[in-house]
Amino acid sequence: MHQMSVRSIVKHFADLKVLDEFDLDVAKGEFVALLGPSGCGKSTLLRIIAGLETPDSGEIHIAGRSVTALAPEHRNIALMFQSYALLPHMSAIENVRFPLRMRGQLSRADQLRKAREAMSLVQLGHLAERYPRQLSGGQQQRVALARSIVGEPDLLLLDEPLSNLDARLREEMQIELKRLHENLGLTTIFVTHDQNEALGLANRITLMNRGSIEQQGTPEEIYRRPRTVFAADFLGGANIFELEVSESDGVWSGSFPDGSRVDLAVSSDLEPGKCQFMLRKEAVTFDPEQSMSTITGTIQTQNYLGGQTRSLIRAGGIEIIAVTDSDKTETDRIETQIGWRPDELIPLQNV
Amino acid sequence: MSAGSAQPYREPAILLTPGLLFLLLAFFFPALQLLAQSFLTFGTEPARFTLEHYAKAAVDDFYAGVGVRTFRLAMIITALCLLIGFPLAVIITRVGPALRTVLIVLIILPLMTSVVIRTFGWLVILGPGGVLSWTLQQLGVIDRGISLMHTEAGIVIAMVQVLLPFLVLTTLGSLGQIPPSLEEAARVMGAGFFRGIFHVTLPLAVPGLASGSLLVFALSISSFITPTLVGGVRLQVMAGSIYQQMTGSFDWGFGAALSMILLLSTLLLIVPYMVITSRIGGRK
Amino acid sequence: MIASTPRLVPFATAMFLLAMGVFMLLPLLVVIASSLSSSSFLVFPPPGLSLQWYGEILGSQAYIEAGWTSLKLALATVVLALTLGTPAAIALSRFRFRGQATIAALFLSPLILPSLIFAIGLLIVFSRYATGPSFLGLVIGHTVITIPYVIRTVSANLADLDPHLDEAARIMGARWWQRYALVILPQCRTGMAAGAFFAFNISFDDAVIALFMRAPNVETLPMRIYSTLEFSPDPSVAAVSTIMILMTIVLVVMLNRIFGLSKIV
Repeated sequence: MHQMSVRSIVKHFADLKVLDEFDLDVAKGEFVALLGPSGCGKSTLLRIIAGLETPDSGEIHIAGRSVTALAPEHRNIALMFQSYALLPHMSAIENVRFPLRMRGQLSRADQLRKAREAMSLVQLGHLAERYPRQLSGGQQQRVALARSIVGEPDLLLLDEPLSNLDARLREEMQIELKRLHENLGLTTIFVTHDQNEALGLANRITLMNRGSIEQQGTPEEIYRRPRTVFAADFLGGANIFELEVSESDGVWSGSFPDGSRVDLAVSSDLEPGKCQFMLRKEAVTFDPEQSMSTITGTIQTQNYLGGQTRSLIRAGGIEIIAVTDSDKTETDRIETQIGWRPDELIPLQNV
Repeated sequence: MSAGSAQPYREPAILLTPGLLFLLLAFFFPALQLLAQSFLTFGTEPARFTLEHYAKAAVDDFYAGVGVRTFRLAMIITALCLLIGFPLAVIITRVGPALRTVLIVLIILPLMTSVVIRTFGWLVILGPGGVLSWTLQQLGVIDRGISLMHTEAGIVIAMVQVLLPFLVLTTLGSLGQIPPSLEEAARVMGAGFFRGIFHVTLPLAVPGLASGSLLVFALSISSFITPTLVGGVRLQVMAGSIYQQMTGSFDWGFGAALSMILLLSTLLLIVPYMVITSRIGGRK
Repeated sequence: MIASTPRLVPFATAMFLLAMGVFMLLPLLVVIASSLSSSSFLVFPPPGLSLQWYGEILGSQAYIEAGWTSLKLALATVVLALTLGTPAAIALSRFRFRGQATIAALFLSPLILPSLIFAIGLLIVFSRYATGPSFLGLVIGHTVITIPYVIRTVSANLADLDPHLDEAARIMGARWWQRYALVILPQCRTGMAAGAFFAFNISFDDAVIALFMRAPNVETLPMRIYSTLEFSPDPSVAAVSTIMILMTIVLVVMLNRIFGLSKIV
């Protein structure tokens, strides 16, 4: 049984099709990222799951019951808004108590006790009486988070949870969110356009493009084995280029525009002809081993990034970017040899 | 915004209905009744359709004179409000916060004081033996007491004070939307202080000045309290005559017809004015 | 001010502001000064100071009654304008629906039609379909002209707020009445307060509608002041006017406190 599933969701805004026969299943305890560029339909999907938008057609199930026709207040879910949506006229603790108060099953004292517990889970126990305007952005976010988990919802939805924070706080909150998820085991779906956020938080990433799923899988799969140019490009950190693929005696090879050839790992996706390939920037090394594919190139320019260095290399008639550990980076010579494991050169479908 | 319920229009409909019904009955219905009244005989049962009220207004030289005076005064008042109000609004946007608050109070406090009280103040200032006459005598400008009561100048002075806040507030609205960097940019590019104001601030303030002056014009045409008290019976304006017809002579048909003429002539002036200023202002 | 302003400009600006200050405030100041005059004629300068005119109006049945009528009228107007205007403002600023712009324009249209015209229409309606002008008629008239102010202040108030609060409350399980009682109306508080102050001020000060809708036994303060000014002004009018000016000052200060005058602008 899935904790949440949407089936054949279609949604139009005027003439624009935002979601096209969309299916998604989420198992209990999963932490799923809906990742994609703006306009890909991810926020609309989240709002449909929450009940804030009505789909043109399709079915939504949460915790074993159909909620398609149910208003948001009856779905027993929580949604943390990008703007946090804290009620400005209520103190932090009153905000956190709000979902319990609406449900009205517990006594006032129990509601307050649970609200305090949730506040200390997000390490804000000492600021319970403050009003939202008296809290910093990061603290407001924690209140919003406490408010989302206090009612033990069947499903926790997060809308761009880290986008309003500065870089330092974002890192802190990523750890916090992950820790909370591991402790509470709440089934969580979050929307983001930031691949690092998705990679760092989720057990599973659903990459969306133009209203449907482009690719789905663990962060590792999505990052290392993108199937399409879109996926490789969106996840970032990749060189994407075209090679001419050919086969002789069961050995596949690809030739660069200037005629240099490299071996290709055997894969069912290969067929002779032009094909787009992806090569991760970190997969490139200046110190190739015997078994690696190699090519000679010239270093055009380098950016020192601290622990790592980014090099722009002209090789094979194209430009390749390499991100390598600074102590293993070639800096003396301009002419150099670079290499990578053959299976790091990944063929992509060009859809 | 809020979807998810079966009838997304139900909630706003419930919220809007009481207010809309109230306005239909208490505002639009009376406005239509006024229109109807201007075409109906008054005092006969049943009322018949007639154009006699409009005919009466058209042939009577007295009302032609009143109409001309009304519009002349309104134009002078509007022009003066523009002349004073624009610099005042520009100054308000540029001074420090403390002086700004003082100036806004200077605009809002009179605006929120009853027109009858402000007019009363002007009666004391402009009247015989009033503040103005006394001051001028003390300064040696005049040797005998003067009075601006029952003069058009007196009406204009009092009305400008009554209506200036409307122009300043609407102009402030559109000045507030001009990024300060624009005029700074003009200055950097070599426009002098006055040229900066003339070429940057003024054109961008046109929408505010336009709606502000329209408001002042419409309000000054339909005012009767200040003109009647300052101008007296001899210098009647249209709104004053209408008040006279409705509450003194009880000729409602004629009063209604005068009101319609007042309203329509205002519209006739407003529409071309709006077209012209929207071209100048280059609005989106 | 921008640096390198021509030297004459600050001086000219200061003179201009001084002149404006005198021009805008003088009418109010002379009224206040006249109320303290010991003379029974409105002459300048007053021959001496006295509070006798305040004693006079406090002992005057007509002024006291008019004061009560104005107060009751203004309070009734505030209640009615808030009751009808607040829900409309909520609907217009928190929902998107077809015909929204038209409906918003309808609600603001009493600001555009000169109140003289509206007052005549109201007089005709009350004479034809009721027993003539009445206190109720005044309440209705004042409610019509103050609803736009309530709509403006409440909408301005709601525009500053996070539009997702309402949705957040729904997801947390709030039913419609809980959303209104615990989320939406508390958000409108400052807007409603500002709208109430405007409505009170406009109703308490209005003479136009009051003069047309003149009913037997119903006289408001502005009506009384107007008729006194028409016939025989004396310093007791100045005393009443001074009290009304002081009330206005209190209102302006309170508006500034709760809403900020810069928002009204």
